[in-house]
Amino acid sequence: MALQIIESCVNCYACEPLCPSKAIYMSEKTGHFRINPKKCTECEGDFKDTQCASICPIEGAILDALGVPINPPGSLTGIPPERMAEAMAELQAH
Amino acid sequence: MELPVINETPAASAGGCSSHSCGTSDDQLGHLSDEIRSKVENHPCYSEDAHHYFARMHVAVAPACNIQCHYCNRKYDCSNESRPGVVSELLTPDQAVKKTMAVAANIPQMTVLGIAGPGDPLANPERTFETFRRLSAEAPDIKLCVSTNGLALPESVEELSKHNIDHVTITINCVDPEIGAQIYPWIFWENKRIKGVKGAKILIEQQQKGLEMLAAKGILVKVNSVMIPGVNDKHLAEVSKIVKAKGAFLHNVMPLIAEAEHGTFYGVMGQRGPTQDELMDLQDSCSGDMNMMRHCRQCRADAVGLLGEDRGDEFTMDKIEAMEIDYQSAMEKRKVIHEAIAEEMHSKRAAKVEKAASHADEPKLNTRPVLMAIATSGQGVINMHFGHAKEFLIYEASPNGVRFMSHRKTDLYCGGDDTCGDGESVLQQTIRSLAGCEAVLCSKIGYEPWDLLEKAGIVPNGEHAMEPIEEAVMAVYKEMAAAGKLDEAAPQEERATA
Repeated sequence: MALQIIESCVNCYACEPLCPSKAIYMSEKTGHFRINPKKCTECEGDFKDTQCASICPIEGAILDALGVPINPPGSLTGIPPERMAEAMAELQAH
Repeated sequence: MELPVINETPAASAGGCSSHSCGTSDDQLGHLSDEIRSKVENHPCYSEDAHHYFARMHVAVAPACNIQCHYCNRKYDCSNESRPGVVSELLTPDQAVKKTMAVAANIPQMTVLGIAGPGDPLANPERTFETFRRLSAEAPDIKLCVSTNGLALPESVEELSKHNIDHVTITINCVDPEIGAQIYPWIFWENKRIKGVKGAKILIEQQQKGLEMLAAKGILVKVNSVMIPGVNDKHLAEVSKIVKAKGAFLHNVMPLIAEAEHGTFYGVMGQRGPTQDELMDLQDSCSGDMNMMRHCRQCRADAVGLLGEDRGDEFTMDKIEAMEIDYQSAMEKRKVIHEAIAEEMHSKRAAKVEKAASHADEPKLNTRPVLMAIATSGQGVINMHFGHAKEFLIYEASPNGVRFMSHRKTDLYCGGDDTCGDGESVLQQTIRSLAGCEAVLCSKIGYEPWDLLEKAGIVPNGEHAMEPIEEAVMAVYKEMAAAGKLDEAAPQEERATA
C-alpha cells in the first residue's frame, strides 16, 4: 500500500520533511516530488492522517493506493469545480 | 504665503499620530525611541522617507506553506505578474546568499534582505534560517527581515532573535475566527489539516501570541492586512487597535488583488478588491490609532530594487554565477554611499523643517484638498518623464499641508505587452489610473499625453523638475488657489473607482 504524487505537483517541498518514512524524493526524471512505494507506509502507526496529503495545497496531486485523489477538486480551495470550469471557459473566450 | 509640510511638523500627541500626519515620516514616528528610529530610517518598507532612497530585495527560498489563503494560488507563476507569493526561480540558501551579495555589490543602496515566500518562511525553517545564518556572518551590513502568516511564529521567535533580525512582518487579516474562516479555508497544524473556524481560531491565537513575544524581545513588528470588501473591511480598524496595543508599530493595509486568471478563490468567485477611495478611507480611519504604511508596493517574493521597481532580471542565477564579487571592497563602497544618502536625507529634512517654521505665521488657506500625481524615480524629487513612469505617487495638498497618500501603478498588476489585456492603450490605461487627481507633476511630458490629460481634467505640469515633491505640490496647490480653481467643487464623478 502506498500513496503516489503525480505530475501536477508544484514542488513546494511542504510534504517532504513531514514523511515519517522518508519516502518522498525529488525525481530527476519527472522534475517533481515522488513517493517511493517501497518505503511509503501511508503513515500507518505514525499518524492518523497521511501527512503529505494533509499539507499538500494542490488538489488531485496525491493519489491513494487505489489511484483516487485524496484531495479532490474543490476540497482545498473551496472553489466549486463547476464554477472553476465556467471561469476558465470565460477566460478562454477572451 | 507658504504652508507647512505636515509630515514634518511635530506629532500632535505622544500617543499616536493625528489623522493628517500618517505617512511614516520620522516626526510622525516621534514617539518611538531613538533606537527604533535608527532601525527604520534606512528601511524602505518601514519608512516612507527611506523608500525614496533605499532598495530592498527578497530571496525566494521558502516554497512550503502551512495555510491556504483565499487570495493565493500555489500553482501560479508568471514572469509578467507582480504580486506577493509569485516567483520565477526558487533558490537554495547557498544561491540566495550569492544572489544577495551580488545585488548588494551592484546596487549599493540595497540595505534590506527579506524572506517572504513564495510560501511561508517559517514553514521552511531550515532553508530560511540557513540563509539568515550565512548572511549574518558573510554580509553583516545588510538588514534582515522576514514576513510570515504567524502560524509557526511562536516556536520561531527564539531563533529569529539570534540572527540580527530587526524587523518581522505578520499578515493579520482578522482577529475574529468567523471572519477568518472566510479568508483561510484550512491550516496544517499538529499533523492535521484543520478547516474552517477551528483552523482560523488557531491561526489567530498563534499570530497574536507571536506578536506579543516579538514585542517583548524588542523586535519591530509591522502588521500587513489585506482589505477584502464585505469580508474584513469593517473589521480592520479593530485589528489595527488590537495589534497596536500588543506592540506592533506600523500597520500596512493593502488592497486585495483578485482576478479570475490568477485562479485564486477570490478571483474565480468574483470577489472584488477595494476602490482607491475605500482603501484610503480605511487607512484614514485606522490612522487615529496606529501608524499607517501607505507606500507598500505588494512586491513579489523575489523582487529586487527600489520599491516600485523590479530589477530581478539582472540577477538571475545564471548571471550571478558569472559575477565575481569581492564583498569586502563592496562593503566599504556601500558604507560610503549609505553615509552620503543619510546625510542627504538629514539635510533635506532639516531644510523642510526650517522652511515650514519660517512660514508658520502666515494666514491659512480655506480651500478644499486636492490630489496630485507625481512621477519620480526616487530621492524625493520630481525627476521622471511622464511616459517613463511605471507608477505615480499620490499626494494630497490641503490648507493643512502636503501628505503622501498612496501610489498608483500605471500597468496595474500585469507587465505584459499590448497584446495582453483588453487592448486599451498604455496611455489610456495610465490616465485612467490617475482618476481623482487634478494635476500630474513630472520632469517632462509629450504633446499627446498632455492633450489627453487635459481632456481628462488633469493638469499636466513639468515646471517643477528636480524640485522636492512636497514643496512642488504645495506650490502648485497655491497656484490653483490663486487662480480660483479651488472655489469650484472637486470633479467627484472622476474619482477613482478601480
